[in-house]
Amino acid sequence: MSIATRLGGLDTETRVIGGVGTILVVAAILSFLVAPALTGPIALAFAAFVVVSYLVAEGSTARFLLFLTTTSTVLILGFITVYLILNALPAAREMGLYLLVGSDPFWSTGTNVYSLVPMMWGTLVTTVIAMLVAAPLGVAGAVFISEIAPGWAREIVKPAVEMLAGIPSIVYGFIGFTLINQFMQQELSLPTFGSLFVTGLVIGVMALPTVVSVAEDAIASVPDSMRDGAQALGATDWQTSTSVTLPAAFSGISAAVLLGVGRAVGETMAATVILGNVTNLPDPLMDVFGNTITLTSLIASQYGAASGLQFSALFAAGVVLFVTVMGFSIASQLIERRMRRTLGGDA
Amino acid sequence: MSLGTPSDTADALVGGDSSTRELVGGGLAALSFAAFVVGLVALFQYVPVDTTVGGVSVATAIGGALTLVGVGIVALGAASYAGVFETEPGHTGGILSAAFLGLLWFAVGGLVGAQTLGLSTVWPVVALATGGFGAAVALFVREDIGVTLSAGLFVLLSGLVVVTGLVGPGWSWDPANVSIVVTGAVGVPVVALFAGLVGAWTAARVYGGFGPQGRQTGAYVLVTTNAAAMIALLGSIVGFIAVRGFGPMTEGIKYGLFWGPWTWFNPPLLDTWVVVEGPIVWFHWPFVMEGYSTLGAGVDGVLPAIVGTVWLVVGAVALAVPLGVGAAVFLTEYAEQGRFTSLVEISTNSLWSTPSIVYGLFGLAFFVPRLGNTNSILAGQLVLGFMLLPLVVITSTESLKSVPDEYRDASAALGVSKWETIKSVVLPASLPGVITGVILGIGRIAGETAPILLVTTSSPFPSEVAGVIEGGFRFTSAFPFVAIPDLNLVQASSALPYQLFAVIGAGLGENLDFAWGTALVLLLVVMSFYAVGIGSRIYFRRKLDQ
Repeated sequence: MSIATRLGGLDTETRVIGGVGTILVVAAILSFLVAPALTGPIALAFAAFVVVSYLVAEGSTARFLLFLTTTSTVLILGFITVYLILNALPAAREMGLYLLVGSDPFWSTGTNVYSLVPMMWGTLVTTVIAMLVAAPLGVAGAVFISEIAPGWAREIVKPAVEMLAGIPSIVYGFIGFTLINQFMQQELSLPTFGSLFVTGLVIGVMALPTVVSVAEDAIASVPDSMRDGAQALGATDWQTSTSVTLPAAFSGISAAVLLGVGRAVGETMAATVILGNVTNLPDPLMDVFGNTITLTSLIASQYGAASGLQFSALFAAGVVLFVTVMGFSIASQLIERRMRRTLGGDA
Repeated sequence: MSLGTPSDTADALVGGDSSTRELVGGGLAALSFAAFVVGLVALFQYVPVDTTVGGVSVATAIGGALTLVGVGIVALGAASYAGVFETEPGHTGGILSAAFLGLLWFAVGGLVGAQTLGLSTVWPVVALATGGFGAAVALFVREDIGVTLSAGLFVLLSGLVVVTGLVGPGWSWDPANVSIVVTGAVGVPVVALFAGLVGAWTAARVYGGFGPQGRQTGAYVLVTTNAAAMIALLGSIVGFIAVRGFGPMTEGIKYGLFWGPWTWFNPPLLDTWVVVEGPIVWFHWPFVMEGYSTLGAGVDGVLPAIVGTVWLVVGAVALAVPLGVGAAVFLTEYAEQGRFTSLVEISTNSLWSTPSIVYGLFGLAFFVPRLGNTNSILAGQLVLGFMLLPLVVITSTESLKSVPDEYRDASAALGVSKWETIKSVVLPASLPGVITGVILGIGRIAGETAPILLVTTSSPFPSEVAGVIEGGFRFTSAFPFVAIPDLNLVQASSALPYQLFAVIGAGLGENLDFAWGTALVLLLVVMSFYAVGIGSRIYFRRKLDQ
């Protein structure tokens, strides 16, 4: 159905209200972009228009307002994308591909040379360590909640996992900073304060609840009839889980793991606080106990002192981060959608 | 032939000696689990491995227990193979178990090859050989001898290494290319953790009598341990912060009951003040009622941070809830499934997974220059509102979808218009779900540091509360006779999570207690939102099920 026919389906009243309202909202947004001082009066005009039209034609105005709120997420996502890219452009233009494949010196404010290689390496290593922790333990937790636990245990574990998700990242970072970093230095003679390993471990724990919750939803959405079928054939509970339920929920579980990866990639405060944030690759490269920086902690640790090209390079890091996480998010959404289709339910 | 009683039949099916098998298997599983727990305690140095209890060091005790478990498991496997017990072993240990054991033996071979034998280039060959052998034994030999041999030998080897002191107090290992040095204080507990779990898993398999039942028992032991560990993790994080933070947080609390003036007034005819007196409860809690003490005297408090967090949350909720609920209503009540709705759905989910620091960057580039070119509460409110929005949309959509269609139909049958139906029937019915989602969302954004770090905060140790409301509500003599307070949101402020970050950034040193106190207050604020949110959801679900 084309837009014209859709608009044709609306009555005149709705069309008038929608038209005038849309013009006012667009004007308000545009004025905020170019002349923020004008936004106030235009927004007031919009509010007055809405009040009047609501008194005249309640239903149509409500419908228009609801439509407007619905576009907000799309608009916000659009603005985030545009403004990240706009601010990253100077760095991309100046540094070109060096930004992504540069070599030593990686990040030098003195000579204005910026490459994101150490940050991407740091993010990669911490994410891999985090997922080695979060993926198996998270899926096992989901299996426990949905397949094994008796009622009372489920009612303890499920809220506990959610509470675990609620602990602020800076608190995890604080614990990593004061306790685990110290432990590593005292007991394992780590020469530097902070390491990729500890960061990955803490981020893994933080990504754990995401994996558990989403994977549990996926397992719970497998129809009971499939389980019953297996059990009627004499399979044990565990056989049913491993050979019927988990394979059926496989795509949902992988979506959960992908979401967990997204969380781990985007985790900021724990990495900022625990890592040493040195803008060099660890030496030797494979030293997981080495110190470097992640994309997120680069932004959080340097935004204050940055200006000019360095500031733009931070936005370039933001773009890399945003694109990566968006990729994982969309992939997991597509997988989930496919699973919903194949299982045939609308769970 | 007489019919046996049910218990006779059961005995015949399970086999006469099953009780011995269960007893020994269960005992070994418990012993391994004890080694695991002791290893955990020793790893965190609560009880270092060189502590001596009753003449035996912890390391020796762990090693002895593991050796015993290893021998026991192999013996049980052999006994089962010889037919001493009635078991139901499969032809193979299963691919999953074999892969798991292969990985373990790969690690053993690799470590021994590279470190003990000092093979610099051919250690992968040794590792592959041992790994392949460990996996093959478990995969191709009958289950009761294969799995027990592969796993039991691993546990036995671990136990022997520890009990002989090969890995023990005084031992240290400096792996090449990695900047750590492993000593016995960490090495022994790590061995205990791995071998303890493997031992418990295998012993549980024996307990279940191998076969499908045995595998189930073994798997359940591991999965349940994992779930228990998660709860223990939550408990230890919260407990640790509570223990360390309680002292600083409650320092200097004073309270008392006084007799003092409640109110006073000057009646028009009497030319004197009438004072009404009564008991007054006085309560002073410096940590949450004062700012950071600038003079170094008195208790450092976090009041500016608390006030900042309250403003941020209020603003974010005021922005996100109308937008989010409105979008959810449109998506469920008006929109037809199509390209537009899936676009909205994808952008909502994408916003939900966008990293918080990216929101911060966006606020820094978009709002800060346009809102007074300074870090401000308003910018923080907008950015946090954007972060809250997708959560409100998702939870409200779910809640609206769960309102039965009968409600809508009944209302429509009475001739009520669509918007009127939504306003007075659908929205009230979905309210509990919406509120729960909002509460959980508040918990999330109240603890968010990265975005406000970029757009809201400036001073790391504020002593003054940001004066958002100025002037106060009062009557004036000039038109329009009332003065409403000025709302100044375009100014920087602290917030609880930022306060914690600022202390860490400034170097803990003498501020360590202040940091623990701040962490506890932050945790209490966030966790109470989560507790209320989760609790109310459980309550409303129960009510719905009735």
